[in-house]
Amino acid sequence: MTGVPGSRAGELKGWQMRRLESPWMNPKLFWGAGLLLAIVALGIIGRLFWNLDLAFTGAAPLKLPPVGFENLRGQEGAWVHPIGTDGSGRDMLALIVIGAPNSLFVGLLASLIGMSLGIFLGFSAGFIGGRTDDIIRVLSDVMITIPPLLILVVVQSAWGDVSLTMMALLIAGFVWQSPTRLIRAQVLSMKQSGYVQMARLSGASTMHIMFREMLPNLVPYLFGSFIANVTTSIVTAVGLEVLGLGPQRIPTLGRTIYEAINAGALIQNLWWWWGIPTLLLGLMFIGLLLINLGLDEVSNPRLRKLQ
Amino acid sequence: MNVLNVSDLSIDFPTARGVVHALADLSFSVARGRRLGIIGESGSGKTTTALAVMRMLASPGFVSGGSIRLGDLDILTLPEDRMRRARLRRVSYIPQGAMNSLNPVMRVEDQLKDAIVAHEGRTDREALRTRLADAFAGVGLPAHAGSLYPHELSGGMKQRVCIALGVILNPELIIADEPTSALDVVTQRQVMQTLKDVQKRIGAALILIGHDMGLMAQSVDELVVLKDGVLVEHGDMRRVIENPSHPYTRELVASVPLVGGESFLGNSVAAPEITRSREDLALLEFENVNKAYGGITALHPMSFSLSGEEPRVISIVGQSGSGKSTMGSIMLGFNAPSTGRVLFEGQDIARMSQHQSREFRKNVQAVFQDPYACFNPFYRVDHALGFPFRRFGYATSDAQVQESMHLACQSVGLDPALILRRYPHELSGGQRQRLIVARALMLNPKLLVADEPVSMVDASLRATILKNIYDLKDSHGISIFYITHDLATAYHVSDYVMVLYKGQVVEVGPPKEVIGDPRHPYTQLLIASIPWPDPDREWGGTTTAAEDIAALDAMDHDAPTVFRGDVPGFRLDVGE
Amino acid sequence: MGRIPRSYLLNRVVTLLLTVWIAATLIWIIPRLSPVDPADIMLGRMAAGAGAVENADQILAQLKENFGLNDPLVIQYLKYIRNVVTLDFGLSTATFPTRVSTLIARALPWTVGLMLLSVVITFFIGNALGAIMAWDRSPKLVRVAIPVAMVFTSIPPILSGLLLMWLFAAKLRWFPLTSAYGLTVEPGWTWGFVQSVIHHGFLPALSIVIVTFGFWALGMRGLMITVQGEDYVMLAKAKGLRPRYILYRYMIRNAILPQITAFALKIGLLVAGQVLVERIFAYNGMGKLLYDAILDQDFPVIQGVSFVIILMTAVSVFLVDLVYPFVDPRIRHDGGET
Repeated sequence: MTGVPGSRAGELKGWQMRRLESPWMNPKLFWGAGLLLAIVALGIIGRLFWNLDLAFTGAAPLKLPPVGFENLRGQEGAWVHPIGTDGSGRDMLALIVIGAPNSLFVGLLASLIGMSLGIFLGFSAGFIGGRTDDIIRVLSDVMITIPPLLILVVVQSAWGDVSLTMMALLIAGFVWQSPTRLIRAQVLSMKQSGYVQMARLSGASTMHIMFREMLPNLVPYLFGSFIANVTTSIVTAVGLEVLGLGPQRIPTLGRTIYEAINAGALIQNLWWWWGIPTLLLGLMFIGLLLINLGLDEVSNPRLRKLQ
Repeated sequence: MNVLNVSDLSIDFPTARGVVHALADLSFSVARGRRLGIIGESGSGKTTTALAVMRMLASPGFVSGGSIRLGDLDILTLPEDRMRRARLRRVSYIPQGAMNSLNPVMRVEDQLKDAIVAHEGRTDREALRTRLADAFAGVGLPAHAGSLYPHELSGGMKQRVCIALGVILNPELIIADEPTSALDVVTQRQVMQTLKDVQKRIGAALILIGHDMGLMAQSVDELVVLKDGVLVEHGDMRRVIENPSHPYTRELVASVPLVGGESFLGNSVAAPEITRSREDLALLEFENVNKAYGGITALHPMSFSLSGEEPRVISIVGQSGSGKSTMGSIMLGFNAPSTGRVLFEGQDIARMSQHQSREFRKNVQAVFQDPYACFNPFYRVDHALGFPFRRFGYATSDAQVQESMHLACQSVGLDPALILRRYPHELSGGQRQRLIVARALMLNPKLLVADEPVSMVDASLRATILKNIYDLKDSHGISIFYITHDLATAYHVSDYVMVLYKGQVVEVGPPKEVIGDPRHPYTQLLIASIPWPDPDREWGGTTTAAEDIAALDAMDHDAPTVFRGDVPGFRLDVGE
Repeated sequence: MGRIPRSYLLNRVVTLLLTVWIAATLIWIIPRLSPVDPADIMLGRMAAGAGAVENADQILAQLKENFGLNDPLVIQYLKYIRNVVTLDFGLSTATFPTRVSTLIARALPWTVGLMLLSVVITFFIGNALGAIMAWDRSPKLVRVAIPVAMVFTSIPPILSGLLLMWLFAAKLRWFPLTSAYGLTVEPGWTWGFVQSVIHHGFLPALSIVIVTFGFWALGMRGLMITVQGEDYVMLAKAKGLRPRYILYRYMIRNAILPQITAFALKIGLLVAGQVLVERIFAYNGMGKLLYDAILDQDFPVIQGVSFVIILMTAVSVFLVDLVYPFVDPRIRHDGGET
């Protein structure tokens, strides 16, 4: 139990603070960031050492298994295609080297734009108040219940093929709500806080208060919200791709899974075709979750006690 | 026969930096029907003691030695389920934060009912109902209060629900942990009276934990003084207060400000009267300012003007909800008045040019109540001092900023080398509040608004900090608005006192008159409700607290303000 | 409904209407900004599909009139809103000339059923686990083991669906690969049909449950830790209440409140996740309908399905909001804000 009323509560707080001199040295943060960096590294190193044209040409034998395995037709994996080929003879490794960073890119870009929108709207609502606040508040309350996937399905089926960046932009239009709400709430409570009042007494400008006094204290929250948004964005992107929407000509993990399901890869036991992209996505999500759990522990010391 | 025997109790808290001894070899006992006070400042181990008796110490704390006997029970070795049965039935606990001590989603009667059921099993419904009605009546609550949710009750009512709960099973021992610390003086007296009456009725022993020597003097028979987990003095309350043997006890007793008598500010040296250059315009003026939130008037129309020619300390005294803090934030321009104007050197603060607004900020500074909130946790504390200093153009070089900060720290009694490069959470509340005073000193404003500057600081430090603030007037010629609920300190520091009640000024004048010899019934009630650290002085006179509160409710709110005299340089008008 | 403050109720009704209106408008407006005109595609496909129909020209002319493609945009929009209000989305182009509303009415029960089964059950399981994880009297093993398992619950249901499908349907053949019921059984309230439905629904439901309970469990754990430190829990202990009673009536009862709010906010994402699971399992619900429509570029169906799912989400949120004042007396008191 924590938070005992009275004298001791203050004391305990002091100890906790000291114990956590560097809360950012958190194993969860470390492993989460490590996983994501590994995926980025896969993209970079792969581009240097592997022929990426193999992801488009499809000149190889079809449905070749990874090295050390055998497919239903008795073909064995070969080092030319270390993790096999897909149903139209495209090299899986090349698909993954291109696709994995693409999925991460869409998530990061959409979340980054959504976040910027959220910071802008949240601060506007919290600082300007009045009518502006009402509009932003109601709009974010309304938009947060609309599942982005369903709107985007309509949009993309009307627009046909889109580029990766376009897809990220479209998703970004639906991930600004939760940062907006979060920042608005924080700004409203911080506005009343002693140190913001002190800063106003010190003749600080609104800009100074926003960016020098408030923003640094928002960083853990912003970061957490950002990571959560990356997850949502990737899930939405993969969802669109699995429905056959999104970029049609650029390899992404979701598109690879889409093709695998459509070709009946599950029944034909072509596990590497859908399994490897699934595994990579899984690792990506686990990495993001670990980062978020780590961040939670950074900003909420009470959680740390359980470990 | 003793209800509770605590002998050689030691409690340790293991931390990353070694074991902290929260309590060392504490021994005391309480007999039936007696009231024992445990007094100490934050970190003294008084709450830890209470929790140890309940066997509810927060981990990682543990009892490292000694014994606790409650009647025939050995608390420390009792099996868990028997300990659970002993709680409330044998020893009950009335917590400090009555505000949050009741389950917000349960009706209060259900929170008494579940306690009875937990100890006596399901009982007859009708009998249960009469018992609850009696319990509520016993603490002076109306019968329908039981069917309300906690958020529908006032702080004083919640605290009385907690008392009703504490005595519902007629325990042998009641532990009340700062039961009134969140209440204002009038309610405090009512709650304490209720507690004492109930305790007498059921004949239980009472342990009262607190930090206020006055409250102790009016409430207990015996006193234990704790400091850093060590008992420094123990004895009959009258003996401890009148003839303290330990220097710390003496300090505690002396730190309680009294109305009348010697000033705790020490003999103020005949300070050189510093006068500001003569200006025709008043430093700060209120022109028919009032403030309403929705339909509720927080502050009734008032006008005043402070010339600022000679520095003055004007106290604004009132309970929570009196409008005193609203007044403070209007002065600082944080809160716009509903009607009327606030003028700084003749200029409406709502319509200032950028330059004028900077001058206003430069010359009107503040000290707030909560020293924990006033520092941005992201920066080292010197940010709060250096930033405005540079902003207002006082800085000529980094070295000069450093030097000014060092000087300011020294003049409020802080060691700059130890303090300035720390983060806020590494400093104590007292240190932070003194830093805020140092900040005001560096900026050398013409006016300082001090909003409850010492109410969250330990008693022994209050006098020092008030002295620091008072020095701003004496040696720097800064005028001060001192906003407080504490009449005794206002008595000593101010040149002029305004008493606010529900947004209205009820009595004004020099402190000797207003506080020393109050005329308005509200001021009289406030003064009478202060618990004096003097066992011979009756708390609250002849009326009971409940009668006083009834009288207060019946009071004529439109009664005219009582004017008790003027002070040069300040003029007040209360108009419609 | 006398216990819900009027201002609160009004607020929620306005939010519901606004949500539905904004969603409907977005669905209408964004496609019209696109470089390709969906109406062209639609009419083109209809013309192609109608080759064999005798009076095709008449129908097409009629349709053009119905779509009001010659009207000014404002009129088109108003007509669209009127149709949306009456849940009339016109005719499907792929299964011409079936009404979209008929297709949706056929698929909706499956989706709602699966959702009640998975999303709602998950909420309860997740919160129960979270509470156990944080309770100081739980066995240590539980408190340590669950967070480890939890790591794998960050995965979206579509991925877990693939894995489960491969393992239990393709490899082990314990469960069927696709559809909501067997092809050989006749739909109706027979034991055989119910059995078939359960058999087919198990994997889709499981793939949602195993990956979403962690979200609730983690949230609940954090809230329980906060609640454990509250003064009222401490007083409950000092009252000598039984630990289990404190757990239920004091801790979980309070910690669940923010979770209910979070549930309302999360419904949209959960529904979207389910749509995808339905798609990979070819489950007879809205997900499959949507996917088939995308394949066929059946625009009226896409629009209709999306709108109905959003409507469903908004109504669910509204219902949760209506229940909330009954579990938190503070809302009843001061209305408005949540």
